[in-house]
Amino acid sequence: MIRAALANLAAAALPFVLALAIGAIVLAVTGHDPLSVYALMASEAFGGTRRIAATLTATTPLLLTGLATAIAFRAGVFNVGVEGCFYLGGLAAATLGFWLVGWPAIAIIPVALLAGALIGGAWMVAPATLKVRLGVDEVVTTLMLNFIAVNLTSWLVNGPLLARGSANSATPAIEKTAELPRLLPPSTLHLGFIISLALVILYGFWDRFTVTGFRSRLVGLNARFCRAVGIDVPSLLFRMMILSGLIGGLAGAIHALGLVHRFVAGFSPGYGFTGIAVALLGRNSALGMILAALVFGALASSGATIQLFSDVPIEIVEVLQGTVMIFAVAKLGLLLRDRRGLA
Amino acid sequence: MNSASVLALALGATSAAKAADAPAALIIAQGGLGDQSYNDLAYEGFKKAVAAAKIEGKPVESKDVVAQAADILRRASDAGFGLLVDLEYSHGEALATVAKDYPDTKYVILNQVQPGANVASVLFQEQEGSYLAGALAALVTTDTSIPGINDKPIIGVIGGTKSVGIDKFIVGYIQGAHDVNPNVEVKVAYSNNFGDPAIGLQMAKAMYDEGADIVYQVAGGTGIGVIQAAKETGHYAIGVDTDQDGLAPGSVLTSMLKRTDVAVETVVGDYAGDTFPGGKTVTLGLKENGVALSDMKYTKDKIPAATLAKVDELKAKILSGDIKVWNAVDQGYPDFFK
Repeated sequence: MIRAALANLAAAALPFVLALAIGAIVLAVTGHDPLSVYALMASEAFGGTRRIAATLTATTPLLLTGLATAIAFRAGVFNVGVEGCFYLGGLAAATLGFWLVGWPAIAIIPVALLAGALIGGAWMVAPATLKVRLGVDEVVTTLMLNFIAVNLTSWLVNGPLLARGSANSATPAIEKTAELPRLLPPSTLHLGFIISLALVILYGFWDRFTVTGFRSRLVGLNARFCRAVGIDVPSLLFRMMILSGLIGGLAGAIHALGLVHRFVAGFSPGYGFTGIAVALLGRNSALGMILAALVFGALASSGATIQLFSDVPIEIVEVLQGTVMIFAVAKLGLLLRDRRGLA
Repeated sequence: MNSASVLALALGATSAAKAADAPAALIIAQGGLGDQSYNDLAYEGFKKAVAAAKIEGKPVESKDVVAQAADILRRASDAGFGLLVDLEYSHGEALATVAKDYPDTKYVILNQVQPGANVASVLFQEQEGSYLAGALAALVTTDTSIPGINDKPIIGVIGGTKSVGIDKFIVGYIQGAHDVNPNVEVKVAYSNNFGDPAIGLQMAKAMYDEGADIVYQVAGGTGIGVIQAAKETGHYAIGVDTDQDGLAPGSVLTSMLKRTDVAVETVVGDYAGDTFPGGKTVTLGLKENGVALSDMKYTKDKIPAATLAKVDELKAKILSGDIKVWNAVDQGYPDFFK
């Protein structure tokens, strides 16, 4: 039992360790001392309350994009459209955030968050319908929908929703009442982190202890078996895809109300795609995804500020992120288990 | 104590003698270094200035730059940096908020004005460069010896949105055109979009159909379509912000440059020389070399020397103060453009 748990932990940590090793080689070759760079990164990610807060802020969107992805993945649906939902949810929430002038916080925040989630869910209706009715590959449809969502929001924010007099593609700032409260001022850590963390933990319980949670995992493992025992597989897949979209939209809405306080060009640097890596690295488990989101959050927050104290360019951090993602996809745990089986 | 704060202390110790010895950081905007445009240009100016002032200078890039505004600014301020130049437009409000908490640190924001005694805002006198672009266009549109020029004295301008920030360019352009030839008609249109080349292409083609032969674009990404239209129809476009002459060699008459490198170099130099313009708005115009027409590498040979000389003469008059170009942001709208 304990040995199995340790093996699981090793399998989950292995991609990160391998990435660090490869990153060290890249750093050494480019004339940096890997150990001192890693020490600097660690202190920039976790050294003191302010840096921890910055890391948790960077972790926040990844918790929910990871969760949105995992909910689809575990049911066997490879939804890669969370990025698009994130953009749309962010724009919807930001727009209500500056439209609903004079609304109290208690009304404007839930309405804007709900709108963001709903538009994300609605965005997934078409690919979900195409998947369950006509068997259209969801990878293709959801990937393509990302481009549409990004360009649609870009058009809206360059035209109808553009802030008056702004030289930048941005909506007006949201009302003060629409901003999610900050947890540790003056740091940027906001209530969205708690909401996101709570949802991932809730997912953990849903996964373990509810019938739908069990069924959707079962469908992911063996859809034919589920059909044979009478589970309504198409309906389940449809619902999981919509749920995935809802959470993706909510992620964007939280990012808009909690951190950016408006919708602006470059709203997401690819949180939806990093969410895929979070789900894969975390093996769709709540704890695994929290740790994985923390890893990518730490890389993002420290990656920017280590440049203040070293000559390490941002590309090195991107190499690290990319390597973690590659190894996250590989089922390295199998390798370990096979070895032990032989021995 | 972590290594970063040790370094910060070390940096702080060396800066005890004079405030302006503390290192400077340049926060790179979306698009990152290597964009061969805004960021690269600003970084060139930054490197030059920190080398000249013998202070340490660090560029900071982030894929997540929009979300990390306050986090990066606060980290650098905590760590004892003396000057933070922020190129990212969306950082405006965050910069003003952070600046309040660090009165000894200096902050610079470009293309917008933010409050604070330790904040310098840098604006460009775009109307001055636009004036020269308008004058050049008015001179060229009546010179049918130049290939692609019709006999109608019509030029155009396409703005990205109807706002005073964009009309600042347009007013200068119209003033320049009318000062050299009051009979030149300037068509004005707005794309209501900064990111759609297809709209720019369509609108510019419509203007060319109506007899315009030169169209100035003040519409960001939409303006790329204006340049494309000029190339397709054999007319001329005028580029904006960066040197766009090479996007369609021969079809871009000139570009109205905003010299971000000069801007950054100037403020870093002021900081090092203890003349930092805190609480002020620095406006860089023709005089400071902050705005300029491009070298016209691909079109110079088509244009008569007398025309180019006339534009230089107008530039000299602006520099000497004989010509005052209308600044729509400061002065409101003039009678000739409501």
